Amino acid sequence: MNRLHRRAFLKRAGLSAAVLPFITGLPSLALAAPTRPRQRLIVVFSPNGTIPTEFWPDEAGRAFTLKKILAPLAPHRERMLTLQGVSNRIRGDGDGHMRGMSCLLTAIELLPGNIMGGSGVPAGWASGISIDQEIKNFFQSQANTRTRFGSLEFGVGVQDRADPWTRMSYAGSGKPVAPISDPYQMYEKLYGRTKDRESLRSVLDPLRAELGRVRGLVSAEDRRMLDEHETLVRQLERDLADGTGAAFRHAPPELERGVAAEQNDHVPRLSRMQIDLLVNSLANDMARVATLQYTKSVGGARMNWLGISDGHHGLSHEPDKDEVAQEKLIKINTWFAGEVRYLADKLAATPEPGGGGSMLDHTLIVWTNELGKGNSHTLDNIPFVLVGGGFGFEMGRALKFDKVPHNRLHLALAHGVGHRIETFGKKDLCAGGPLVLA
Amino acid sequence: MRIPAAARLFGSAAGAALLAACSGPSASTPPSGARIYAAQCATCHGERGQGVAGKYADPLHGDWSQAKLARYVAANMPEDKPESLAPVEAEAVAAFVYDAFYSPVAQARNHPARVELARLTSRQYAIAVADLLRQVGPATADANSAALPATEDATGLAATYYNVAQRGRFDPAKLAHRGTDPVVDFTFPENGGLRARLALPPIDRPPTPNSREPAGFSAQWRGTLLADETGDHEFVIRTPNSVRVWINAEPDGRAGSPPTLDINVSTPTEPDHRVTVRLLGGRRYPIAIDWWALAEKAGSPVVPAISLRWKPPHGSERPIPARNLSTARTAPTFVVATRFPADDASFGYERGTTVSKSWDEAATAAALEVASHVEKRLDRLAGTRAGDPQRAQKAEAFAARFVAAAFRRPLADEERARFVGRWFAAGAEPEAALRHAVLLALKSPQFLYVDVPSPATVASRLSFGLWDSVPDAPLAAAASADELRTREQIAAHAARMTGDPRTRAKLREFFHQWLQIRYVEDLGKDAALFPGFDAALIDDLRTSLDLFIDRIAWGGTGDFRELLKADYLIANDRIARFYGLPAPADGRFARVAAPAGERAGVLTHPYLLAAHSYKAASSPIHRGVFLTRSVVGRRLKSPPMAVAFDEAQFEAGLTMREKVTRLTRGADCQGCHSVINPLGFSLEWYDAAGRFRREEKGRPIDAVSEFLADDRTAVRFGGARDVAEFAASDERAQLAFVEQLFHHFVKQPARAYGPDTLARLRDSFVASGFNLPKLLAEVATFGALGAPAPALLASSQTAPRP
Repeated sequence: MNRLHRRAFLKRAGLSAAVLPFITGLPSLALAAPTRPRQRLIVVFSPNGTIPTEFWPDEAGRAFTLKKILAPLAPHRERMLTLQGVSNRIRGDGDGHMRGMSCLLTAIELLPGNIMGGSGVPAGWASGISIDQEIKNFFQSQANTRTRFGSLEFGVGVQDRADPWTRMSYAGSGKPVAPISDPYQMYEKLYGRTKDRESLRSVLDPLRAELGRVRGLVSAEDRRMLDEHETLVRQLERDLADGTGAAFRHAPPELERGVAAEQNDHVPRLSRMQIDLLVNSLANDMARVATLQYTKSVGGARMNWLGISDGHHGLSHEPDKDEVAQEKLIKINTWFAGEVRYLADKLAATPEPGGGGSMLDHTLIVWTNELGKGNSHTLDNIPFVLVGGGFGFEMGRALKFDKVPHNRLHLALAHGVGHRIETFGKKDLCAGGPLVLA
Repeated sequence: MRIPAAARLFGSAAGAALLAACSGPSASTPPSGARIYAAQCATCHGERGQGVAGKYADPLHGDWSQAKLARYVAANMPEDKPESLAPVEAEAVAAFVYDAFYSPVAQARNHPARVELARLTSRQYAIAVADLLRQVGPATADANSAALPATEDATGLAATYYNVAQRGRFDPAKLAHRGTDPVVDFTFPENGGLRARLALPPIDRPPTPNSREPAGFSAQWRGTLLADETGDHEFVIRTPNSVRVWINAEPDGRAGSPPTLDINVSTPTEPDHRVTVRLLGGRRYPIAIDWWALAEKAGSPVVPAISLRWKPPHGSERPIPARNLSTARTAPTFVVATRFPADDASFGYERGTTVSKSWDEAATAAALEVASHVEKRLDRLAGTRAGDPQRAQKAEAFAARFVAAAFRRPLADEERARFVGRWFAAGAEPEAALRHAVLLALKSPQFLYVDVPSPATVASRLSFGLWDSVPDAPLAAAASADELRTREQIAAHAARMTGDPRTRAKLREFFHQWLQIRYVEDLGKDAALFPGFDAALIDDLRTSLDLFIDRIAWGGTGDFRELLKADYLIANDRIARFYGLPAPADGRFARVAAPAGERAGVLTHPYLLAAHSYKAASSPIHRGVFLTRSVVGRRLKSPPMAVAFDEAQFEAGLTMREKVTRLTRGADCQGCHSVINPLGFSLEWYDAAGRFRREEKGRPIDAVSEFLADDRTAVRFGGARDVAEFAASDERAQLAFVEQLFHHFVKQPARAYGPDTLARLRDSFVASGFNLPKLLAEVATFGALGAPAPALLASSQTAPRP
């Protein structure tokens, strides 16, 4: 039981800290306290499918070998799960990329709408909440898991447009949640108050001098009002001083300046900036759920930094026999794995606030994609890779399923945080209940 | 039945003391009012009439004549033994009360009014910040600086249609139609009709297979939006297609900003997209719409459509009417989002003479909001760009302009160092320096207080008086050149400034206050009794009332009496139909004549009659209180007890007049209801929806009543027109109007400007033919000159020396 939990429990039990020494030895009370350690979920998205032959381990079970694309994650092999055979079986309106993206975390059909894809029927937004938001709401509904933001949605190179190809997070039917792709904007959201407080602090002295000056200009009767005003400024000063006690456990990261969010070639720098902010915000317990979205479904990033000048989406359409394109796609997907590793490394290197191992021990990263394979647009074998811990899953395995609906994976995530819902997304696809990952 | 006073005195608790004090009504020495008061009145009213908590808490202040007061005391006091005082005793105690603390003169003597240091009210804060950001920024098109066109003239938005739909762009080569759309509220259901007229392509032309050629059609609307009211406006864009909307934001060019609403994805079953935007009333804002109807497959359920709707404060949701749209262009206005706590209105008008923690927190949040807004636009506002070697200097120069505008005067070198230079030390980051300069300026008393003594005091009082805002360039220049010294110089600027839309906005706000409709929310009536009296009609009635006031004040004679006596209404077709009036040409708002004798200006405007009514019946009490306080300008105290009007307690068949008469016949009630009821009964000609009627429940309307004027002469009211005639010619009504107007505009007690201020203002008002703009200029001039120094009270006023 960490300190926060204990304090929350004491508060609910109507006991003050003064009686603490008398009750810690009482097993019955200790058992009644919430004992669930802190849990977090991070969903990482990269687009356009993978190259299955260089992604999925050949073996199932504990003894598996990481292939080229997943090789960067080798240091975390013992706390990862590869989930082959999980399918996005949502049909209905919209093309494969649209459903791949907007049904990925919602696991329910798209609304009818006005967006015409490459094929199929035009469609609109997803018709239900996404699993990250579902779990966020679950956390936010309880005092001991509630945080300032609940969830944070990070983007890297996500085009500034809103359609079913660019949104995977949904607060509800027809309510997409936009990721923030500009790290400076995210910084402002996370730490803007800090900047405001600092600015206010620096104008307080001159402000009091001005009030004193004006005080000398007005009549004795009007001075009363200025005196009250001055008292308020002193109060503000005290409030700001009190605030220093609530300083962040982890200081905000220093961001490199002037990295424009919309520039293709900035993606590697933007990725690291966003991951630094993400880990920092979780370390400061501003949220327990986060998403990190690289570009979008049909994302056409040109990875010049890998020596690849073709757009990612265009490449993904090339047939299997095009070996040059295959090599490039492997390189691209390996690069994404490297970013996931950077995230996992950073979490592993940060001690869990309040004790109990590293942050990675309490955080599950779910890395996924809107397609199984780019050139076939299949929604089977969606590349799901889990890294981390805290959800009670038995990690360090390669698992193989037979086209199980991804609804059941989402149910497993919900149950992993103690949110025991019976169905998620499309009900018909929930038969069998949560995937057994323990 | 009366019994001899002497006999009763023996029976009263205070009898012994009183008997010792006075030798009875027959004695030659008159009774001492002070002693009677001390013995019989002070326990409930306090030694000096200040009131006693738990007994009678309100101070004994009022505006009755001494004679009326005496009559009331004789009939009602002391409360436990009414009618126990002999007439001479009642007169003596009334005389004492009147002179010691009751009368306005006594109140003034006991609490000499003074011009208090006042901070900006929340309205003043929002307007001042909006205007000062306009002043210091780059020059832009500004539809707000010109006098507004007559607001009932329909204009609409500039529309451009294209034969192609490519999200995010418009191809000039595919131009189909250009024109003005009075409202944006269209469906394009088939291939004929509007589509054919606009030369738009057929709906079901599918995209050519494998062709990059986009089909469908699209449109752009550009122009300005006039907000009538200050507050949150909910905008609703109804479309099954893709749309981007900018409201109070610039869509194009360097100043362009992201759309207020960016709807790429639509669902035909949920076509409404909502966004709430806070706007200041009486101003025009840029509005722009980009809309794309992509080609659908044959048989698609999607019917291209778009409707631009809003729900303004006090209104219901409806398509934005043409009268609020125009094709002019204007720049966005910064509207502060921070909410301030309500300003103290306990004096009968809002004023900023108190500070509180919540106010200070709001002022801090608002300052941060402005600082962040300015910081993000540094390059554009300061006329610089990234990499400019002069960037820091330009930012500093901008900061200095900002502080000077906020303080309403040029900065001395030493001040510039204190407020600006300190943050822009060598190597300082311009963004951070600017943020600090803005924060300090907006938190400083030089910005937050209207009246801090400075060379800008007179200009500041004048602009806040007329506009609730900072001085404009000509006024600031006059202040710098020391040309606001004489009454004539000030009056000339005041006259110029009354033509500004901000004066109109403030006057409209005053009339909403005066007509007691500022907080009206629900005018709805019993639908079975008043079919057709729906939300749309209520919206139109409010517009009709506003246009009526605007027309008289700014478009026509400017004559206040017309506001009371006009025998016409401003009506559109819906209003004309419901009230049985002649239909206006083309159905738009226009002046229409009412049958002779049926209407009397604002007194009988249906919006007010409906506002001061119950759901199913008229309310002579609400109408009477409104007429008493606002139109004839008499004070009323709060009712001594709460009495609910309960229909069930009356037998069937009684008229409303009979019910009210019964309900208020008690002596406790009559003190006020002897005034309220006759006025309220005069409006019995109108039902709860404000329609003229000749009978109620099959019985003829009895609206005849007598109102006792101050000199005790009875004035006969047969209907609203008689009340209007009385109010237009009664000196006390005129004085009360002038006083209420003064308080709303200057936000200081009129008495503080000299004992004869109101009389002088009334005289000039009468002399000008009751001209409202001239009265406003006079009021603002008085306010700008400030309180006379005691020695100058008798002589002419002179502006204070800085």
